Amino acid sequence: MKTSSAPFGAGWLLRMSPQKQDTLLKLMILTIAAILAFSTRLFSVLQFESVIHEFDPYFNYRTTLFLAEKGFYNFHNWFDDRAWYPLGRIIGGTIYPGLMVTSAAIYNVLNFINITINVRNVCVFLAPLFASFTTVVTYLFTKELKDAGAGLVAASMLAIVPGYISRSVAGSYDNEGIAIFCMLLTYTLWVKAAKTGSLFWSVLCALAYFYMVSSWGGYVFLINLIPLHVLILMFTGRFSHRIYVAYSSVYCIGTILSMQIAFVGFQPVQSSEHMAALGVFGLCQIHAFVDYLRSKLSVEQFNLLFKSLVLISGSVMFGAAAVATAAGKISPWTGRFYSLLDPSYAKNNIPIIASVSEHQPTAWSSFYFDLQLLVFMFPVGLYYCFSKLTDANIFIIIYGVTSIYFSGVMVRLMLVLAPVMCILSGIGVSSVLNTYMKNLDVSTKKDKKQKKSDNTYPLKNEIATGVIMIMTSFLIMYTFHCTWVTSEAYSSPSIVLTARGGDNGKIIFDDFREAYYWLRQNTHYNAKIMSWWDYGYQITAIANRTVLVDNNTWNNTHISRVGQAMASTEDKAYEIMRELDVDYVLVIFGGLTGYSSDDINKFLWMVRIGGSTDRGSHIKEADYYTPQGEFRVDKDGSPILLNCLMYKMCYYRFGSVYTEGGKPTGYDRVRNTEIGNKDFELEVLEEAYTTEHWLVRIYKVKNLENRGI
Amino acid sequence: MAKYLQLCILSIILATVSTANQDTISSSIVNTKVDRKIDVSSHIVKIYTTVTVENKGSSTIKSFLFVIDPSLQSKLSFIGAVSKSGDDTSKLSVESTRVESQKDKVFFRINLASPLAAGKSTTVEVETIYAHVLKAYPAEILQSEKQLVIFNSNLYFYSPYKTLTQTTSVTTTSSSIESYTRTKPVSVSDNVIKYGPFEEREPFVEAELKVHEENNSPFLTITSMERIIEISHWGNIAVEEHIDMRHSGATLKGPFSRFDYQRNNDGVSSIKSFRTQFPAAARDVYYRDEIGNVSTSNMRELEDSVELEIRPRFPLFGGWKTQYYIGYNIPSYEYLFNRGNDYGLKMRFVDHIYDDMVVDELTVRVILPESAKNIVVDPPYPVKRGSNELHYTYLDTIGRPVIVLYKTNLVEQHIQDFTVTYSFQKMLLLQEPLLVVGAFYLLFLLVIIYVRLDFSITKDEAKESRLRVSSLINEVQDAQDKRSALYQSYDDAINKYKSSKDTTTFGNSRKKINNDYTALTKQINTIHAQLKTEGSEASERVAELQKLDGQYHDLINSAISQAEKLISNKLSKQQYLDADSANNTKREDLESKMEALRATL
Repeated sequence: MKTSSAPFGAGWLLRMSPQKQDTLLKLMILTIAAILAFSTRLFSVLQFESVIHEFDPYFNYRTTLFLAEKGFYNFHNWFDDRAWYPLGRIIGGTIYPGLMVTSAAIYNVLNFINITINVRNVCVFLAPLFASFTTVVTYLFTKELKDAGAGLVAASMLAIVPGYISRSVAGSYDNEGIAIFCMLLTYTLWVKAAKTGSLFWSVLCALAYFYMVSSWGGYVFLINLIPLHVLILMFTGRFSHRIYVAYSSVYCIGTILSMQIAFVGFQPVQSSEHMAALGVFGLCQIHAFVDYLRSKLSVEQFNLLFKSLVLISGSVMFGAAAVATAAGKISPWTGRFYSLLDPSYAKNNIPIIASVSEHQPTAWSSFYFDLQLLVFMFPVGLYYCFSKLTDANIFIIIYGVTSIYFSGVMVRLMLVLAPVMCILSGIGVSSVLNTYMKNLDVSTKKDKKQKKSDNTYPLKNEIATGVIMIMTSFLIMYTFHCTWVTSEAYSSPSIVLTARGGDNGKIIFDDFREAYYWLRQNTHYNAKIMSWWDYGYQITAIANRTVLVDNNTWNNTHISRVGQAMASTEDKAYEIMRELDVDYVLVIFGGLTGYSSDDINKFLWMVRIGGSTDRGSHIKEADYYTPQGEFRVDKDGSPILLNCLMYKMCYYRFGSVYTEGGKPTGYDRVRNTEIGNKDFELEVLEEAYTTEHWLVRIYKVKNLENRGI
Repeated sequence: MAKYLQLCILSIILATVSTANQDTISSSIVNTKVDRKIDVSSHIVKIYTTVTVENKGSSTIKSFLFVIDPSLQSKLSFIGAVSKSGDDTSKLSVESTRVESQKDKVFFRINLASPLAAGKSTTVEVETIYAHVLKAYPAEILQSEKQLVIFNSNLYFYSPYKTLTQTTSVTTTSSSIESYTRTKPVSVSDNVIKYGPFEEREPFVEAELKVHEENNSPFLTITSMERIIEISHWGNIAVEEHIDMRHSGATLKGPFSRFDYQRNNDGVSSIKSFRTQFPAAARDVYYRDEIGNVSTSNMRELEDSVELEIRPRFPLFGGWKTQYYIGYNIPSYEYLFNRGNDYGLKMRFVDHIYDDMVVDELTVRVILPESAKNIVVDPPYPVKRGSNELHYTYLDTIGRPVIVLYKTNLVEQHIQDFTVTYSFQKMLLLQEPLLVVGAFYLLFLLVIIYVRLDFSITKDEAKESRLRVSSLINEVQDAQDKRSALYQSYDDAINKYKSSKDTTTFGNSRKKINNDYTALTKQINTIHAQLKTEGSEASERVAELQKLDGQYHDLINSAISQAEKLISNKLSKQQYLDADSANNTKREDLESKMEALRATL
């Protein structure tokens, strides 16, 4: 009698209409997921500092800095003489500028409203920011495929999936960071366009595609996936006017827009990777035309016409393709794409591609490591998609199946797989929960008695409770796993190394920056640094010095020349270094600290790449092995190896160092042997700087000696 | 760089000279006793000159002149004087001046604390500090070699006056002295070379003094430095110092061997680390450079300061450079004072960076709060003032005024306070929070407007109907809430009636409540009709609600009639209580049903 409930009590939520409650709940879950996606990527900033990670991000950072300072036109016309000496590199025409333009735009907008954040911090936090956006887009995408509930599950899963985090932690400032967002956005808009057949959504989809093209070379996957979708819709008899409108407009507008990116240029109409899209476009027109004819003609007339038309157009197209390929108008498939189709292709043919660790095939364990629960829920989601087949579901099925194949070929394509895994698992988890939640008996005691008499489904409530509990515990385990993987495996900047000390304290090896900063401060501004290409981007960005080769491995002969210098004896190498005007040589050496990805362990790639061109034909891989075919640096090692420039630079004066108790001097802690050639002097080089833990060693190339009288 | 510096110093000296005083050399002053202590043990040269000045003339003198040795005059960083009489020391003012007849020399006028009467004498101690005087010789050394330096100066006290007796002692770093000028009388004990006493020297006399010694002290020079002080009236002062430094000793020639450096501990003249002191209240100290955080540093909190051991990324050998920046926050109440709207900032112009520091060029920027006016700067020594700048940062609109001050050639003795006074309206503190509030207000307003406007071209009938239904349901709920409040008033009225037994008042209030009640019920009925036309299933629930409400109202009426019976004694108390409790339970039951119905409308 007493209560007309208070206006601001706990009851306010219940007093809202169900729609409002629904909206509020969705908004809250989505917001929390987006915030989580951002914050879980900050481990690296908290454990280390706000710093750019790894190799490629340093290049992106450098270009962004240039763009922010000098403006877009200077950026577009930028010829970089600080890399690939003496060739240089046309940066404006050889990069995907989407990433840099995005961060420069954010930087300029923020600074315009007097939020004085610097370019580095914009770059560091861009990937987490876009991860939040991706979370939202995933929700929208899954909502298109199934329903809002599945969308929320998928979005929450995507927020923390390690396969995506590995490339988007704070500081990992790479194309992939925004490309996944662009890709999912394009997919969402494509599904929307295919569902509605509206020109509006198609144009938006084309614009999203343009953003994707401007930001990542992986757009090729996208421009093959959408045609594949259309093709399968044709085969399954689902082709309709909606698909016709959507695909034709997306393809035309998207292709024209994508050709505006200097690096892409005329590839969309010339290279074979894009031909599938063009072919499907043609097929669409024919299909639509045939449909039109069918509606006008009788069955016999139509069959005759159809057969002859297929025959003629097929042979014409095949002939045209053959002629164009022969005339060089359609470029042959590039190596990276071959290695997608045939994992052993690159290994056998292009050492420079095979040498990159992220181009290696994926190990089985890393699927579980990167996706955990999703590996099991993915088929469940597929099942639900198959059980209610729609145009959109067909798309997600194709996306899932193809990306599983590609991620098996190349480790780094795990990134493309992770979102679809989340979406399909989200659909799976949501459907399972939806099914069993209904069976859950939450009514009051009185009603319970009536329900127990349901003989067709014994223990209905108990089974439902069990399933939901198992699912809940899986999801909780997934959360813990993801957090653990993120903090342990994916949050190291790799520019700063850490090790556990004896007293469980953290030892920091900041040798890379020590060496780069030494170069920056204490060498001539125009000094040329020779190093293996891995460190090129870091040297130009951090040390601000000219390098011969860098991570943009566009010129194999040039890299090969550096490999030859590293693999030759000192006097042979001196000729190459004089020829290339080298002032300093930089090597990474882990023998003292036990850092295993140092230059000695990469050395065989230098030998292989060095020997892969004409001028280096005298360098043979076999010479660097022992007669038993082993690669060793101890006394039994090949004498050619023990006297080559790389060996000497790494082990100069290392022969007198005690590294481990109870071991002789010159004990290499990576190879776990005592080095073979200890006592030697350098003739054409002198040690210019070695970092505290000997991780980076820099040598100065001596001038020619004065000629005696 | 060195040349540029000299030019700078000269220009400053000239600038001060041109504006400053002019003096003549008085012939009545005689230096009766001069004792010079030259300290070359670090990388700067400190000369402490104790002069006993006697007034041989007939009139009193207020000041005397001090002239800088020509070999050192371009290197002077600091000059200061104290008078010594017995145990008391008092600081004397020193002014730059010039003498018409001796234009090429740098003079300073030392004003005595009290005028010196004829025939009297006084003792003054003059401290002069010179940077970049010691020259490495040889100029290039190997990593394993030691650093040798040459000090080249005047054996005699350089003075515009006659000097009767003088001694000079040179303190070197260690006892390993390669060579020194052997003008007799001279004696060497450990690391001190003593010359003199020399008698009766004329004004401006010069003789060679050359000491070649081993000096491995850190030859660290800050080639340029920018100190940024940002004041926030919210209680914080942020200080950031950008420092470019180089090792200005003998340059390293040939290779750098990490092995020798680690094992044999050579490279004695190299600099591995140094200590910087901050104010004791310094918080959030950071040490970075343009490529990120420098992780090699240790912080210790001392009693009167915070000490940071700074290790550059790499050891500094001769000729090597490095750059870094360092910053911290200090609470403003220790440095910012105010009276009303007038504020005064008093803090160090330059702070300690390392012992025996040398700063070639210093820029100090003081960022004042937005709309600070009437800015007055009071430096402790002459500095060059640049034109004011504007600084924009978070939530700024018109920009913060920035005072720019330049000074060259500073040493530790320049660590002195300067003051900046300005006026600032306290109310303007609220500007930034209000800006944020306003921005959010605008944002919410936009969202509210956006949500309420319909941008669609076509009309979605189903959606429209849904919206109408939901608004109608809201109305029903409101009306129902009011109605249940009325029930409460019924109860109150009955209770009051029972205690007062005033039938007329009760009748009145009952009538009033009844009116309200019928109005509300009518309203719900009209809404119900509207819901029916919308075809909403909620209309059935509203009907149900109305039915329950009718029952409830009947119960109330019966409760009222029972109460009336009780008052008119037609009913015994026990009977009434039983009936009332039965009535109550029914009503509670109905009420909960209605409440449930209302929530699920």
